[in-house]
Amino acid sequence: MLSRRDFLKAAGIMASASIASWKLGSHLSAGSTQPNFIIILCDSLSARHMSSYGYVRSTTPYLDAFSAYSTVFHNHYSAGNYTTTATASMLTGMLPWKHRAYNLGGLVRSDYVNVNPYTLLGPGYSRLAFPQNPFPDRLLSQYLQDIDRFLPPSTFSLQEDHSPLQLFDHDRAIASVALEDFLMPVQDNTVGGTALFGYMNKHRVLTEPDYQKVTYRHGVPVILETWNLISYLNEQVYHGLYSELSQLAQGKLPYFAYFHLYSPHYPYRPRNDYQSLFQDDGYLPVVKPVHPLSPRIDEGYLMSQGTLYDRLISQIDEEFGRLIARLDKEGLLENTYLIFTSDHGELFERGYLGHGEVYMYEPVLHIPLIIHAPGQLTRQDVFGPTSNIDLLPTLLSIAGRDIPADVDGRLLPGLGGVVDEDRPLFSLYAAENPSFGRIRKGVMAMKKRGYKLITYPGYDALGAVDELYDLENDPHELRNLAVADSARLAAMKDELRTHLDEPANT
Amino acid sequence: MIGKLRAGVLYMFTGRWPSGQGILRTYGVIVFLLYSWTLLASFYKLPSWMYFLDLYDILSIYAYSFSANLLESLVLMAGALLLEYTIFLPFRDREGFQSRSVIMVIVVLACIMTRLILYRSPEKSMAFLQWEWVWWSLSLVGGYVMALRAPRSRFLKSLIDGLAERTVVFVYIYIPLSLLALLMVLIRNISWVVS
Repeated sequence: MLSRRDFLKAAGIMASASIASWKLGSHLSAGSTQPNFIIILCDSLSARHMSSYGYVRSTTPYLDAFSAYSTVFHNHYSAGNYTTTATASMLTGMLPWKHRAYNLGGLVRSDYVNVNPYTLLGPGYSRLAFPQNPFPDRLLSQYLQDIDRFLPPSTFSLQEDHSPLQLFDHDRAIASVALEDFLMPVQDNTVGGTALFGYMNKHRVLTEPDYQKVTYRHGVPVILETWNLISYLNEQVYHGLYSELSQLAQGKLPYFAYFHLYSPHYPYRPRNDYQSLFQDDGYLPVVKPVHPLSPRIDEGYLMSQGTLYDRLISQIDEEFGRLIARLDKEGLLENTYLIFTSDHGELFERGYLGHGEVYMYEPVLHIPLIIHAPGQLTRQDVFGPTSNIDLLPTLLSIAGRDIPADVDGRLLPGLGGVVDEDRPLFSLYAAENPSFGRIRKGVMAMKKRGYKLITYPGYDALGAVDELYDLENDPHELRNLAVADSARLAAMKDELRTHLDEPANT
Repeated sequence: MIGKLRAGVLYMFTGRWPSGQGILRTYGVIVFLLYSWTLLASFYKLPSWMYFLDLYDILSIYAYSFSANLLESLVLMAGALLLEYTIFLPFRDREGFQSRSVIMVIVVLACIMTRLILYRSPEKSMAFLQWEWVWWSLSLVGGYVMALRAPRSRFLKSLIDGLAERTVVFVYIYIPLSLLALLMVLIRNISWVVS
């Protein structure tokens, strides 16, 4: 059994060896003007649980090594606190109240469907999408005509693709709502729209064999697809990424590859050799006040789940390190921007576990962004505020494409943009509102100059009150200044309202 | 000898073949139960669809649903006919098909629907599997016994015939609608005219 000390020692040695051996595409390919883009997005990965971002547990030694040759964005925030909103914001470069994909499994409003990297990079690029999470699968299905290679969630998994969605490639987004959300749900709390097929499907899914119990004590990781449970191994998934990238590199066109990977999303199931990592390491998270709307989950359970989460992060960090080493060894990172990020984080505090719903605290919104540019040999740190809506305009600018006027994001500092300390960052949760109308019940967060506002329109009756935090002096968001600094609260709420883009006809 | 055998086999398949009216009425019950279930379930989903889908998208979801219903109703009808040539083969009562099949269809669908309602939440996944074989064994044996008695029980027979007779109207409503729905699904999947 690997102890924590053994692991850290081994990881340190391996990571150091990696640093020494990585050349990381140390030059641009001669004559090539169009760079490749690889986005590796790990779902639900909180920057607050990564040692690269100052977490006390050494969860990400390989990413730390990768950072030595990359630009690290220290104040990178997501515009949404769960997958649909956050991913749609990243892909469209728009704030959620503009693209309106904020319902559970929602879609980008049709006016903005053409604002995405696939359409805007155009046929001059070879474009790949691998959404391992069903919600980005549905979002990316809106762009299918501009995606050259689309890999559905079951790709690189332990199962055959049973999804009937593969029959409906030309209408995948709506077919996905019909089949997964309605006709044959397994995870959902509803009965399913088809009695016979729904029952047969439920039986089939629940009697799927549990794979690899030997190497995964608590079962292998699974993708919680609405109508299915897909078992997968991260080793296999990252190997799949390598194969796909090898093939793309052999093509004549530059490529754009977006991998939306499911781990470390719940359920947290690290491999056995990570099971004792961080055990009894003495780490105690800061205990925070219970949120009035939380299900009041026991603190001990939250801690144990948090540790499992950290172990899973460590495992995927190792997979990432191995992938980078292979890509670099074979020269596949030359002339390539490699972007490591997440859609949103994860919360293990205030009586709540997970993401989404009404929680807009730092562990959910603060996400990693580490970008290695072609030929970059030194580390660069950006401490200015950045948002995941900045990724699209930055990629377009690097590729020499026009940035549509509808895009809200800015160029990332160091990649064409400059730091703007006065810039406000916004996040929205509005799953219980029609996407066509005014947002009457939701949670909005705004971060500006070290202060953070969280406001809960429509939740007042349930006991939620405005929150204001001074993140520089109170990084754990323990002291609500809403009453003590009411002037700042009012000013920030006013500013939030001026940015809120609501349909004019409602 | 061969001629007798051929005649026997032919009789088995043609002589046992239920009347058109019997098939239609049985199918009516199947259609009524399956489509009603789908429509009822859709009313729970409709409010959330209205949040982010437009009318055309919502109609498309119903198109997918009705197409699926059409397929599963045909599967169930084929199952009812298969029973007639297997476990009901010893009973040389061709006219009893409607009563027997309707009973079996109702038992199977009632069992499915009850279990889907009782174990719908993900937390009850294990319970869903735990006594599944007992459920099915008891239901199917009970259904089989009832199906054998139905043609001989005047009360049961009149009840089933009454139900079957009245539900035929749904075949004339839902099947043309389903064919249109199937066409819509095909169009959406062979053309980029969609959405």
